[in-house]
Amino acid sequence: MIHRRPAILAGSLVACGLAVAGGLKLYASPSSQQQNTSAQSQPAPKSGNSEKSGKSGHAGKTAKTGEQIFQQNCSRCHQAPMSIPPRITGTVIMHMRVRARLTGEEQQLLLKYLAP
Amino acid sequence: MMLWRASGLLLLGAGVLYAQSADPPQNNAGYVPVLSGGMGYVHNVNGGVTSLEPQIDPILLLPLGSHFLIESRVDFTGYYQRQNLTSGPYTGTVYQTLEFAQLDWLASTPVMATVGMYLLPFGMYNERLDPIWIRNLQDPPITAAIGNGSSGAGDGIMLRGVPYQNSSFSIQYSSYFSALSTISKIQASRTAGGDTSIFFGNHRLEIGTSYQRYLQGRQTNNVASYLSWQPPRTPLDVKFEYDRSYNGQGYWLENALWLRQSPFLQNIFQRFQFVTRMQQFDPFHGGGNGLPSVGTNRFDAGLNYYFKDDLRLISSYGRQFSSKGNENVWNAGITYRFLLPLWPGRNK
Repeated sequence: MIHRRPAILAGSLVACGLAVAGGLKLYASPSSQQQNTSAQSQPAPKSGNSEKSGKSGHAGKTAKTGEQIFQQNCSRCHQAPMSIPPRITGTVIMHMRVRARLTGEEQQLLLKYLAP
Repeated sequence: MMLWRASGLLLLGAGVLYAQSADPPQNNAGYVPVLSGGMGYVHNVNGGVTSLEPQIDPILLLPLGSHFLIESRVDFTGYYQRQNLTSGPYTGTVYQTLEFAQLDWLASTPVMATVGMYLLPFGMYNERLDPIWIRNLQDPPITAAIGNGSSGAGDGIMLRGVPYQNSSFSIQYSSYFSALSTISKIQASRTAGGDTSIFFGNHRLEIGTSYQRYLQGRQTNNVASYLSWQPPRTPLDVKFEYDRSYNGQGYWLENALWLRQSPFLQNIFQRFQFVTRMQQFDPFHGGGNGLPSVGTNRFDAGLNYYFKDDLRLISSYGRQFSSKGNENVWNAGITYRFLLPLWPGRNK
């Protein structure tokens, strides 16, 4: 037996949530939109000198790809970590490769991004 | 006991030595053993009955080179209630549960193999969203009991990987066989099943389905279909799952909205996450196996405050509707994710 009243109520609240999301997006300032180009956008993790490599030449291209993988995959389940000590990065990414079913190439790009 | 400790230390040391000899050359990532996991405290009031629930779930990650990983998680959850439910002193106990203990072989992109006791990859919740520090709402969905057998784990072998990928999407799969185990701490049902999903990385959209067949008792089937979407330009996380089993069917829809784009008081609101979840469940054959025996609907709304990515305050209110009576469910608490090296390896 399905109770329709709570379903309608819940549906309405979910719709309100989506409307608020849309509203916030419309009213967001340009600067805040630039800072939030992704749903779960987080500052780059503090690991090694990843921020440096993200700003230059070929290393920058690699870091960007690694960053994309980081942002796209972590947020599928949880908040992306702000920092991972380099000496455990390999272990953590092995764990996440199994859990998130990442490819070997994605694993290597993540390692370069997080522990360049 | 001493022998076990010595064996553990020997294994740990061997893992470290083997791992350090197998550093990949293109980066400075280290492969030392890790102790990670989540911990927290949840104050729950369900239909007027208060429960105090401290919890810690340590995960041990022990790499053997860069292609083998031993991982294990143990759950310690305290469960305390008043002696007469609403009056009297608090009494309770701490439950210890081995959730998984597995060896992973990261053989290749299409095939990774896992043997041991592993979390059943059925739907999204059991394997991915269950840890206390990940859950947006602390109470699991009603249908989370579907496809997870007696313990949520399988004893046997699992293969998983990415058989196909291009610049737009990747196809991922898991398939497993679990043997029956009635041994305390490693209980599992005899089951076989799989999960497959297609993930559109640029759109952050994942659509998947799971199938499981019980190879004991009535030999029933369980199925699940799910969707996970994090719109790239909106701080929103949408998750939907439909589950069906011999005992019933139901769905849940969860939205988690970050208030980072608030037009006012952004410094304050950027740390808040507003969560809603609605769910409906219909029993078949009288329900059971962790599922309600009557039709049940529930709506939850929660507000989480993140001090950091790993530390947050949680709160939620839920209202459950069923023919057995409606009730309110309140949760409040704190969760923390820890991530510690277990070996004094070098920081390169």
